[in-house]
Amino acid sequence: MRAYVATRLATAVFVVVGVSLVSFLLTFLSGDPAEIMLPPGATAQQIATFRAQWGFDDPLPVQYWRFLRRAVHGDFGVSLRHGQPSLPLIAARLPATFQLTVTAMVLAIVVAVPLGVLAATHRGGPVDLAAMGVALLGQSVPNFWLAIMMILVFSVSWGLLPTSGRGGPLHVVMPALAIAINLMALLTRLVRSTMIEVLAEDYVRTGRAKGLREVMVTARHALPNALIPLVTVIGLQFGFILGGAVVIETIFTWPGVGLFTIQAILNRDYPVVQAAVFILATGVVIINLIVDLLYVWLDPRIRVG
Amino acid sequence: MRLERSIRALAVLVAAATLALGVPVVEAAPSGEVKIGLAAEPNTFDPHLTVGRNTQIFVVNVYDGLTARDTQGHLIPALAESWKRLNPTTWQFALRRGVKFHNGDDFNADSVKFTLDRAINPETKATIISELSTIAGTEVVDPYTVNVITKSPDFLMPARLGELFGLMLSPKHTNAVGKEGIAIKPNGTGPFKLVAWTKNEQLVLEANEGYWRGAPKVKRIVVRPILEDAARIAALQTGEVDLIAPVPHARIAELQRNNRLAIKTIPAPRIFHVTIDVRKPPFDNVKVRQALNHAIDVNAIVKSLYFGHATRLATVVDRGALGYDASIAPFPYDPAKAKALLAEAGFPNGFETEFDSFTGSIADHAKPAEAIAGYLRKIGVNAKQNVFEFSAFGPRRVQNKTAPLFIYSIGNAYLEPSWVIRWMTQGGLGMHYKNARLDEMLTRIEATDDPKKRAPLYGDVQKLIMDEAPFIFLFQADAVFGMSTRIDYTPRPDETQWLYPLALRP
Repeated sequence: MRAYVATRLATAVFVVVGVSLVSFLLTFLSGDPAEIMLPPGATAQQIATFRAQWGFDDPLPVQYWRFLRRAVHGDFGVSLRHGQPSLPLIAARLPATFQLTVTAMVLAIVVAVPLGVLAATHRGGPVDLAAMGVALLGQSVPNFWLAIMMILVFSVSWGLLPTSGRGGPLHVVMPALAIAINLMALLTRLVRSTMIEVLAEDYVRTGRAKGLREVMVTARHALPNALIPLVTVIGLQFGFILGGAVVIETIFTWPGVGLFTIQAILNRDYPVVQAAVFILATGVVIINLIVDLLYVWLDPRIRVG
Repeated sequence: MRLERSIRALAVLVAAATLALGVPVVEAAPSGEVKIGLAAEPNTFDPHLTVGRNTQIFVVNVYDGLTARDTQGHLIPALAESWKRLNPTTWQFALRRGVKFHNGDDFNADSVKFTLDRAINPETKATIISELSTIAGTEVVDPYTVNVITKSPDFLMPARLGELFGLMLSPKHTNAVGKEGIAIKPNGTGPFKLVAWTKNEQLVLEANEGYWRGAPKVKRIVVRPILEDAARIAALQTGEVDLIAPVPHARIAELQRNNRLAIKTIPAPRIFHVTIDVRKPPFDNVKVRQALNHAIDVNAIVKSLYFGHATRLATVVDRGALGYDASIAPFPYDPAKAKALLAEAGFPNGFETEFDSFTGSIADHAKPAEAIAGYLRKIGVNAKQNVFEFSAFGPRRVQNKTAPLFIYSIGNAYLEPSWVIRWMTQGGLGMHYKNARLDEMLTRIEATDDPKKRAPLYGDVQKLIMDEAPFIFLFQADAVFGMSTRIDYTPRPDETQWLYPLALRP
């Protein structure tokens, strides 16, 4: 087990460094920030001077080496736009993103599991049909559209929820729902199909044969086994949730990492982009690692080593 | 009864006299809170490292320049009470006495020298260096007089040292907090103090009660960035915020119907145009360029895309700029004439070309570009449209990699046509039109310090540009502010989000 974790951690470091390199190349190949940073009145000479001041005129390998040397000390440089060290800027936004994504995930699971189970146990019935209808809708509705519709209905028409920003618990409802909806749909379908599979297993038939109540069979014997693939999928979906957070954070001006990163990308604030990619990649890798370990814990038949 | 009447009469007389003499009755202390939703927040409060007009039009609320603008856009004294040109390369500013920074430091000639030295020092890596690069140095004459020496004659210096690029720093504070500190802990002389700021969340301004113009009326202003148009408007509709900017033109009519809201528009000095690469045939032919101008129904674009909240421009001089000549009529929309001009130039069947536009800048350029391309097709000019993200288009322009036609807009930062025209005819950075006669005319204008004498000289400039048609002349769009009826606010014509006059209605 310990060896397994060690190997996984080593791979994780590789992945994070690899992602950093790719993002470094992608950002720098798309040009440097001088033209965005300076007012339109800047002359070619002034643009060149600015480039030299920040070292953007150095060859790419030189710039990458400089980046790596600093990055190993946790220094991703000072944000071009904000004039502040970029790693703390990103780190300060983690709690907001964490709150949003975790709420979204919990919301998705809390709705999807019972809905999926009900659909599976009432296969073909009206409950199943309704659940699958909701799932289909949830998977096909674009989350940004849903976000704006929710603002119109819940904030403007009914005055129930704040329109945007972060504050009390009410602020998180719409953004979390907008992120959760796709995952919710996906998970409902997944729970339904695995439950159907599991319910056809021999041990379920045995359970029923020995006179267990149907609720007991479903909740105690079938469900735990159906949840194993769910954990894997949630882990894999974490990256997508972060992706969704970028869009949703922008619509609701939710002050998280996603919004900050997208602004940094649009403004070519490379130190911030680098720091964000590093943090997000690390986050995704860690979540995946946790999921793999959970897997082992949930299903002792899975051997590692 | 009679006594009461006479007291009443006396009171009326006193009130009338006070009003007539302009003596402030009793200045009320700042009170109340106003919440504002803006599409963008400042990137920094370091006035030398501001990026983008969205920042430059906002940070002025905590600082002051040596000069300022009034509600009509005229240059007026601020931290400088007066200024004059001693010789072609020396501007002398007489500074206001008794002004204090928020932390109590005195404002004086040393502050000016410190600020301008910092701006031009390469170590500052000032993003706004292009606006102050003519400064060679600053000399302190006495504690309240400074001379600003320029490398070459620069008639714009008083305007440059205004609210966008000439904001004054306190030397002691700036040195104490350092470069990273000043970005978030500004100490200006302006009407508001920055008391809290969580990026992407909100920033809080508090009235500077000792402000030299008199304390602002509102005690506390909370500014929230609300990026999404729909969310920003929703926040105004639900009363979460009292003032928003900008409001998309398409939503003006709907908000105007809401009697708890008021919409105020003002023509912004942002000049939309299509740049034509005059070096490349067939655009080297003036008839082709004139044809393009006749081909576009700009009034229709103003009506359908801006819902009338934009103003047609005959050239690249905006209506609020010094020397705008109203007698010059824009190219009339006349596709038949456009076709005839193309035929005269040897292109009876039109031609193929390319046309760049972009999204994601301060204003919408992609939609007008689409409309323009449609009009061009009608006269046989098939322009292949390339739509870029603004952060990708900027570098293309600077590297002269643009298509022969590209849409752009330039904010007339100094409300001075010469600055705009010089920029647009610089012969590089995507703008390749040059004209020796035009240069000569502008040089003569720039040697004239008195704005009243300068203004009429712009008439011939506008005529020449119109005849030469190195651009497709378009329009200036209105800046649109949405507000609750509980506040009173009049936007200024220079894009500045100047919050000093903001007031709560009783």
